[in-house]
Amino acid sequence: MHDVRMSGEDVLKRQLELADANYHRLKARGVRAISVLGAIGSGKTTLIERLIDRLSACGRTVGTIAADSAGDDDHRRFVARGARSVNLNTQDDCHLDAHMVDHAMDRLPLDELDYLFVENVGNLICPADFPLGVDREIVVISVTEGDDMVRKHPKIFAQTDVMVVNKVDLADAVGVDPQRIVSDYREVNPHGAVALTDARHERGIEDVIRALGIECTSTPSSPS
Amino acid sequence: MHEYSVVTELISALLPKLEDHDGRVSAVILVKGELRILSDEALRNAFELLSRETRLEGSELVIEPVEVRVRCRSCGYAGLAEHVREEAFHFAIPILSCPACGAEVDVEAGRELYVDRVTIQTAAAAEAS
Repeated sequence: MHDVRMSGEDVLKRQLELADANYHRLKARGVRAISVLGAIGSGKTTLIERLIDRLSACGRTVGTIAADSAGDDDHRRFVARGARSVNLNTQDDCHLDAHMVDHAMDRLPLDELDYLFVENVGNLICPADFPLGVDREIVVISVTEGDDMVRKHPKIFAQTDVMVVNKVDLADAVGVDPQRIVSDYREVNPHGAVALTDARHERGIEDVIRALGIECTSTPSSPS
Repeated sequence: MHEYSVVTELISALLPKLEDHDGRVSAVILVKGELRILSDEALRNAFELLSRETRLEGSELVIEPVEVRVRCRSCGYAGLAEHVREEAFHFAIPILSCPACGAEVDVEAGRELYVDRVTIQTAAAAEAS
C-alpha cells in the first residue's frame, strides 16, 4: 500500500478561476457587482427592485441577473423597473455558479452598467461554496422566517458582508425581535454591516445603499 | 445537496491523474477547510454513489479538517481564529475577527478543499497483506 501525493488543486479550481475571470471582467468595465443571497420569500427581489429605483434616480445604470430554478417572474419585475436584466434558470441546480454568471454577462451591456445585482436561487446553504466573482455579498433574511435564522445558518452569516433584515413592519405580528437577529449576527460576524428594511414600503433602503458603500441619496418619490 | 456538484468535479479531475498509477485505490484523502459549508456525510454518500463503475469504486473518502487561521490587518496577530461555542449553535463557529484586538482580518486557512493524496494498494502489497 502506498500514498500518491496529489497536486493540491482545489476541487472547485475551475469555478474559482471562472469567478476570478468574472471579477476582472467586471472591474475592467467599471461595474460593481453585488450578489444577493437569501431563503425563498425573504424579499430578495423586492429589495433589488427598490435598489434599482433608488440608484436609477441617482443617474446610475443597473443590471440584474435573476436566477431561479424555473420561470422568469423576477426577471420581468426587474425589467419593469428599467434594469438591464438577464433571466437565468438553474433548473435542477440548487445554486448559481461562476460559469452560469459568465454566460449571463455575455447577454448584458456591461459597458453601460454601473451596478450589477446577481440574485441567487432561494437557498441559504448551497450558494455559499460557489464564488461568483462579485464585490460584495448581501444576505437577506425576513423576520417572518423566525428570529433563529442566524443560529440555524451561522456559517453563511459569518462570511457575508452585509445582512439585511427585511419585513420589519411584520415583526410584532409574528412575535420576532429584529434586534435578536442583529445580536446573533454580531456574535458570528463582528465586522459585517446591518440594515433593517421594510422593502415593500421602501423603508430602510438608504441603509442598504450606505452599507454597500454607495453614495446615492435621491429617492424615486422625491427626485432631486 | 451541492455536495454532489463538488464530488462530480472531484472525481472527474482525479481519474486522469491516476492513470499512471496501477493498483486498487483504497482511500481518497480530501482536505476540507472549516469555512466550507459542506456536510461530511453528504460528501461521503455522494462519493460512494458517483464513484461507482469508475476506478474509485469501493474506495473510502477520508475527510481531513483544517481549522481557520487569520492574520490581523491591524495588530499583526497570525494564528487560529476564535470560535463561538454557544449551545444554540450546536457546534463551534469560526469568527472572522482578530482574537487579540478585534480588528478585521484576512483568512489565511480554512477555505481549503483539495485532494491531498490517494492510497493505492498494488497487487504485490495486496498479496503480502
